[in-house]
Amino acid sequence: MWIRALLGLIPLLGLIGCSSGNEVVPLEVQLIRAGQDVAARPRGKAPERPALRRTDLDPLEGSFMEVTLERAERLAYLFVNDQRQDDSPGRIMIWRSEDNVTMTTRNGMLIATRGLGGDILSSTVQVQGNLPGPATGGEHTQVIRALDNGKVRLTMACDLTDLGPETIEIVERKHATRHLQQRCNGTDGGIINDYWVDFGNGLVMQSRQWAGPQIGYMRFRRLTY
Amino acid sequence: MLTRKTHPRCLMIGILVLSNVLVARLPAAQEGEPSLVALPPPSLNFYGSPGVIDMPSADMLPDGQFAPSLSSFGGQTRFNFTFQAMPWMSASFRYNAIRNWNLFGFPTYYDRGFDVRFRLFKEQHNLPGVTLGLQDFAGTGVYSAEYIVATKTFETPAWGASRLPGRLKISAGLGWGRLGSYGSIGSFGERPTFDGSSSSGGALAYDQWFRGPFAPFGGIEWQVNDRLGLKLEYSSDAYITETQTTSVFQRKSPINLGVEYQVTPRTRLGAYYLYGSEIGISAQIQINPRHPPTLMAVPAPQPVRQRPERSQQPEVWGTGWAESESAALSLRDQLGPLLKEDGLVLESLDVAPDRVELRFRNLRYMTHPIALGRAARALARVMPASVETFRLVLVSNGMGLSTTTIRRSDLEALETDANSTDAILAVTGISDTPQIADTAVPGPDLYPDLGWSFAPYFAPAYFDPQQPIRMDVGVDLDVTYRPVPGWVISGKLRQRLAGNVKNGRVSSSALPPVRTDQALYAQYGTTLNNLYVARYWRAGADLYARASAGYFEYGYGGVSTELLWKPVNSLLALGLEANYAIKRDYDQRLGFLDYRVFTGHASAYMDFDNGFHAQMDVGRYLAGDVGATFAMDRVFDNGWSVGGFFTLTNVSADDFGEGSFDKGIRLNIPLGWFLGFPSRQSVGTMIRPIQRDGGARMYVPGRLYGQIRGAHQKALRDQWSGFWE
Repeated sequence: MWIRALLGLIPLLGLIGCSSGNEVVPLEVQLIRAGQDVAARPRGKAPERPALRRTDLDPLEGSFMEVTLERAERLAYLFVNDQRQDDSPGRIMIWRSEDNVTMTTRNGMLIATRGLGGDILSSTVQVQGNLPGPATGGEHTQVIRALDNGKVRLTMACDLTDLGPETIEIVERKHATRHLQQRCNGTDGGIINDYWVDFGNGLVMQSRQWAGPQIGYMRFRRLTY
Repeated sequence: MLTRKTHPRCLMIGILVLSNVLVARLPAAQEGEPSLVALPPPSLNFYGSPGVIDMPSADMLPDGQFAPSLSSFGGQTRFNFTFQAMPWMSASFRYNAIRNWNLFGFPTYYDRGFDVRFRLFKEQHNLPGVTLGLQDFAGTGVYSAEYIVATKTFETPAWGASRLPGRLKISAGLGWGRLGSYGSIGSFGERPTFDGSSSSGGALAYDQWFRGPFAPFGGIEWQVNDRLGLKLEYSSDAYITETQTTSVFQRKSPINLGVEYQVTPRTRLGAYYLYGSEIGISAQIQINPRHPPTLMAVPAPQPVRQRPERSQQPEVWGTGWAESESAALSLRDQLGPLLKEDGLVLESLDVAPDRVELRFRNLRYMTHPIALGRAARALARVMPASVETFRLVLVSNGMGLSTTTIRRSDLEALETDANSTDAILAVTGISDTPQIADTAVPGPDLYPDLGWSFAPYFAPAYFDPQQPIRMDVGVDLDVTYRPVPGWVISGKLRQRLAGNVKNGRVSSSALPPVRTDQALYAQYGTTLNNLYVARYWRAGADLYARASAGYFEYGYGGVSTELLWKPVNSLLALGLEANYAIKRDYDQRLGFLDYRVFTGHASAYMDFDNGFHAQMDVGRYLAGDVGATFAMDRVFDNGWSVGGFFTLTNVSADDFGEGSFDKGIRLNIPLGWFLGFPSRQSVGTMIRPIQRDGGARMYVPGRLYGQIRGAHQKALRDQWSGFWE
């Protein structure tokens, strides 16, 4: 008897977890939706992306960059969301991925991230005019979104070394660059940022930069400009 | 009491375990990088406090640590919650079961107890740490003990691959009460023996503390690497009641030993051999509000749109647009969808050539500054260049809660500043909200506003001696109608699908049965949980008001009014609430029973700078008793809160019954903390060791203080780092 009653309820179950209106969605509904999102997530490893070819890039207009998050082994392509000059020296570029992550650079140096979790809120970097990459050694500070919904300031002192000319290849195109290495140390540890800078076109063509303790290292390659 | 929705503990523990087990851990940081990962915390003992096996140590957990644990040996199971409320003080709540008890009419003995520990000396290079502990100091006292213990830590080489060196911890202490019952070396005064048949518990047993025989105890813990730990101890607990008065287990030796393994960064499991006769196990979970299992990731906002230089494009900076009557409507229509994308609802928009006031609801972000940052960016995208001042008003139930004033040029200049967060805060004004201007255009199609939800519910009942947890599950249909700003008509139909709360006991009471008869209400499966009309309004500068009438909760309906004084920049708030409560019929339809009472409270709320939040309510309670409730919560910026409360009224301990007076603990964890996406919902619970009739209050939906505090200056400033997120 009660089994039949329960069976009668099944069509109603489809409605459980529904809500509508301009109010905060109830807890149980949010939980059900979160569970559904997890269930709908694709299983296994993401399919391998086909290797980029220059013929794919040539028709593109505008600047594109490739970023790889080393810890998460995630790769994304970034387009220019905005660019500007603020009151401090250096050219600001705001890069955006399809999945709503942004990375902000000043003369090619990463100064902010958004949308990753544990992001860099802001940074102090050593800039000279619009010259690409770090201009000198000195202070490198990151303000990190962390701990109890707050921010943590990480200050490090850096040495800058010019490791000399290096020719790098990015998707079938060779670039004559200088390899600048920035070694930074703070009270809790140290990091190493590498920049391959093309002073000819004024761009950081390739880099490996540290994006704070919660994100780790990122590798950037400038695909088009 | 903070106004907040409570949700059952089992749901929370379920999420806790799931998020702990399922959330993939990111690959570790490379060696040498600065790290924010916490060091492994001290391990716990069978009472849920830092310690060896059955004995305590002097260690304190990291500040804010929340540690649920479970231990079992010889038919005795302890379920403990420990919270490190301050770096030097922790408190624990325990629910325990002792099988084969067969005393005082209980085959299995269930009991609740509170512990508290204070650090007297912090461990230093050459000196051990020293801690004083009071165990089960307010319950019926089956586990009551006091101790002073010292612990010294030594570094050892690690075995195998390990992030950290090994650690050897040596502890020694003196115990009283239960911990002075074996191998005592002296005695101070008299200590009454435990008598579970007569004591109604609840009262502080301070006349017993550090009385009677005292005995030494000690132990060694060797964490051979960052996962494996070995423990050995000498116990000064003779388990007299368990082994001599009755026969729960056999105690053959004072030596206990065990091995523990850190399964995940938050979970530790242990196996032990205790008292020469028993196998024991433990499971310890330790979480910290500052270290969420999943980092909160909010989709990146659109960058602040920069206006062209006035000198280059003066025509863009004109104010002619404002002369058009449809300008405000058109701007509103462009803004609404942008806000909606970010979970914000446009309530009204008032535009002038040089300024704009946006009133909006934040439905998505636990911390309002994220919503303010998003709203400011949306305005920068839509507003003509001449609009320089942005006034952002957070709205709840039609009331403006606070006004955040930002200059648009600051927004443009500071987004990429090296100190962007502090820099924008320094030029932001937070003030009270004036009355809405006549020129404001309302959100399109917002009023009348109908919302509904159809969701499962879980309603637990705890600590019945026959059955520790009972649970009802079912579905709720919730409908809310807002005809105009400030008015709410809301109702909730509840259909139970399964459950056993109805089998609970209805205990006798010397007071009117205002809460102890809950089981009578649980007999009915289809109920009208609430149905009420409420009006909210601003009664003046710094004043908020509410009037409600209808059926407020399962047990009571009537009329309720509230007035709250809370200046935007004040840490203190004062409130008055007056209710006429009528007891509802057990079937929870439209009828009432013949019990009516005037209740009401004067309340003071204080938001201390150190993360603590205090509340005092003085007034008359549901059973007609008069007294005061004191509450203290540790509130974290991310929405976590852990706290406790107690109520003393003119009801004597004897009339109150078991527990002597009303008290409890409460816990609130934001959903976003578990799951890593933004949400204004929390999972929370309130646990009373026992629910009696003294000191009981009516639950009225939509009390004012909880809606307002988060939008005022202190909370906004504390959580400001969300602004640019």
